[in-house]
Amino acid sequence: MISMEMASFPFLTVLLLTNLVALLVIMFIPPERDKLIKKVSLFFAGITVVISLYLYVTYDTSKGGLQFVERYLWVKSLGIYYFVGADGINLPMLLLTSVVLFTGVLTMWELENRVKEFFAFMYLLVIGVYGVFMSFDLFFIFVWYDVALFPMYPLIVIWGSTRKEYGGMKLTLYLLAGSALILPAILYLWTKSGLNTFDLLALHRAGFTKHVQIIAFVMLYLGFGILAGVWPFHTWSPVGHVAAPTAVSMIHAGVLMKLGAYGILRVGMFLCPQGLQYWAQLMALLATIGIVYGAFIGLAQNDLKYVVGYSSVSHMGIVGLGLATMSVGGINGAVFQMFSHGVMTALFFSSIGYIYDKTHTKMINELGGLSKIMPVASAFFIIAALCGVGVPCLSSFWAEILVFIAAVKTYPVRGILAICGIVITSLFMLRVVMKTFYGPKNEKFAHIPDVSLFLASPRIILAGILLLFGLFPRLILDVIQSAVIPFVGGF
Amino acid sequence: MKTLLFLPEIYYTVMALILFLLSVQKVANRRRTFLVAFGLASLGVFVTLFAVKMHGYLFYNAYKVDLFSQVFKFMLALGLFFVVAVCDNLGDISEREHAEFYLFLVTCTIGMMMLVSAVELLTFYIALELSSYSLYILVPLRRGVGFDKEAGVKYILIGATASAFLLFGMSLLFGVAHTTYLPELFKLFPSLITQPAGAVGLMLVLAGLFFKQAVFPFHFWAPDVYQGASNQVTTYIATASKVAAIAIVIRFVGLASQNNELLVKVLMVLSVASMTFGNLVAIIQKDIKRLLAYSSIAHAGYVLIGILTMDTTGFASAMFYALAYLIMNFSCFMVIVKVSPDGRNVWVKDLAGLHKRSPLLAMTLMLGLFGLAGIPPTVGFTGKFLVFLAAMQKGYLALVIIGMINATISLYYYLIIIKAAYLLEPDTDEIPPLKVGFGLKMLNYGLIAAIVLLGIAPSQLFDIAKAAASVLY
Repeated sequence: MISMEMASFPFLTVLLLTNLVALLVIMFIPPERDKLIKKVSLFFAGITVVISLYLYVTYDTSKGGLQFVERYLWVKSLGIYYFVGADGINLPMLLLTSVVLFTGVLTMWELENRVKEFFAFMYLLVIGVYGVFMSFDLFFIFVWYDVALFPMYPLIVIWGSTRKEYGGMKLTLYLLAGSALILPAILYLWTKSGLNTFDLLALHRAGFTKHVQIIAFVMLYLGFGILAGVWPFHTWSPVGHVAAPTAVSMIHAGVLMKLGAYGILRVGMFLCPQGLQYWAQLMALLATIGIVYGAFIGLAQNDLKYVVGYSSVSHMGIVGLGLATMSVGGINGAVFQMFSHGVMTALFFSSIGYIYDKTHTKMINELGGLSKIMPVASAFFIIAALCGVGVPCLSSFWAEILVFIAAVKTYPVRGILAICGIVITSLFMLRVVMKTFYGPKNEKFAHIPDVSLFLASPRIILAGILLLFGLFPRLILDVIQSAVIPFVGGF
Repeated sequence: MKTLLFLPEIYYTVMALILFLLSVQKVANRRRTFLVAFGLASLGVFVTLFAVKMHGYLFYNAYKVDLFSQVFKFMLALGLFFVVAVCDNLGDISEREHAEFYLFLVTCTIGMMMLVSAVELLTFYIALELSSYSLYILVPLRRGVGFDKEAGVKYILIGATASAFLLFGMSLLFGVAHTTYLPELFKLFPSLITQPAGAVGLMLVLAGLFFKQAVFPFHFWAPDVYQGASNQVTTYIATASKVAAIAIVIRFVGLASQNNELLVKVLMVLSVASMTFGNLVAIIQKDIKRLLAYSSIAHAGYVLIGILTMDTTGFASAMFYALAYLIMNFSCFMVIVKVSPDGRNVWVKDLAGLHKRSPLLAMTLMLGLFGLAGIPPTVGFTGKFLVFLAAMQKGYLALVIIGMINATISLYYYLIIIKAAYLLEPDTDEIPPLKVGFGLKMLNYGLIAAIVLLGIAPSQLFDIAKAAASVLY
């Protein structure tokens, strides 16, 4: 039984509404006032950072369970509740979303084309993301999930680059095909429970039969898994990353892909533990293939964004592997990896965005020696790459080591294969770093100035977070663990 | 007091008479005709709203006024109001015929209002023909284009075939049951449906009705008629007449007792075929009206999912879907009408640059299309959600998955339209911005609000629909 503590003040609703208000305010600003729109966006993004940080800090890990809960009946005849709350699993995700949003707005500071619409769509997307992370009602989880997906299409086709129409369409159709499996699964569970409620906790207590769990879990796993970049359904992801504009890549790889993993954890594993046991072998297998495959394909890429895209497939594989272990350590690691990968890819795309803005290329063989031209801007990419490799003192190290320890215990062969995959990841990351930032410099770009402090600020924040949680992993692990231990106890 | 039950129909008959008087005047005044029609149509919405709570029987029990019929009458009045609201520039209908145009719209509405209340086969048939004949005149009223006449002839011929099916089916039903009253048929039906004549009779009646609703394989008039009729008439056919078709299909399917395996199977096949066919063919369309015609075939399939569950939740979800469809589809058609002031057909590429010409219209279009694709938080999603929920309660998991996959397919062609409106730049440099007057602005805001608000807060409306569905028999 998970404890629930009602909110003294509706923080979570306020967090959601902040974004809605931001959206409305932006819509009423005349389109030609670019600067004002950006300032307003940054202001509201700042508020969300403050709120989510406050929630993160004041969450009482000794009590655990759900805190800041708000629960109201929404549709009586169907048992739909407006039910939001925070626990150790979604708090890091909420914080991640705010950070990525804030730094994303900063990264897009130099946007000139259709500024108003861009930030409006971006806020719409973020409302969906927050909604999924804080909701504990299946109906709302699904609604917010789709709200988070569909703005991707205009964001990519209007502001994107490299094959944007193809990439945008592929991404949207893939992801919504995923939700085509999620909705039937949700309705299936609702019907089978016979409780006439979409309340996640009530459904958890309903105790579905094994047969029901097996069917529902596989639908949920595949549906959410598409968004989490599970191999072989990952093909939308690198294409989409490459096509999307910088801030959208950041939000997309940093936060949206986590929605998928979060959905598997929060809905699939929470409601169908026996279904998980049945499918865990397959999950671990697909995750391992993803880790190794992503690393190998990454080796052959020439476009910086493709490199990061495939490394995301590999890193999200680690999340999947962690979840499949069904152990405290593994899930701790998986959630931590979700957070740290989010920050890391945001940093990756933010740095690539800057390089691309200045050099108008993101092809590795056209760049070269960048660290001599813009040492500070290059440093951010290199930090992200080191984090991706799993160097100690950066947050991914802790996440990955937790997952691998758990994985080797549960699935020895797959665990070791996955570790080999990480070795290949380091190979391709270092290859990219070497070719892009060291070696002979390309004289064509010699005149480019280094990044200014203001424009570097988003990357400073992100790199700082990686370092902070790398040095003090307990800051986040304590929070995560307070939710994961009772979670695993429910299996 | 009993006459009051007939209030909406009387009101619209009076409206038709006023329009008739306008039509015989020597000098046509398009502005005045429009204002009169618009004023009366908006008042009509309130009249039907006022009549929502009425219930009782009229005309020797052939005519039943209940929550079900009154809710549908309200939707029909809303549909008429919507259509008249975008008639301020009837570009492709000669000025002399404007009053007739409104007149037949109104008679068609009266026919459909009687249709949703009729519980006796002959009354039902007469009401159906009243609405059909009005449409047969409206379709070829368009001037100039060429395929309008073809569409008109096709529509009449196919409509006549549908009527033939319907009449044959009704005669079979009468033959086995010796009554034309639906409530009595309903009582006798559990035994009748096992007889071949009874089953065939019901199937034939339904086939006739599926022509009206454009369910595959009775759909083939829809694309040609949508393309050939003037934009406003297509709007009317795509919104109000679809609502009426859903209402009568619910009435007749409700006749069959609950656990009728055969009928459920037939409906299931039709529903899947309709969704899949409509969505796949829509992908290759260039003319938006044709595209929306195929999408309407697909939507007929989604509604059938709700109807074939044959219980209150299912019928209520179909009713909710009907209203959702009315609002979303009208949003799309409104934009089409406005983009083409001279009444020509609109191709997908003609929408290029719409976001610059009128951001508001572009946004309404986007929301309408996302609604049709079933993306939350729009009313279209909630409609699909309720329909699928009803089907899931009956255990039709596969059907729900097929429905959802279809929704994903449909997203492809809706996204192409959205892309045209938001991304493409027009070929010619100078396309003037579209003028959006105060009234149109309000209409847009209203539609946007309705699409979103009904999407996130469907509670009251669904309860009403449930209450309405429970008084069916």
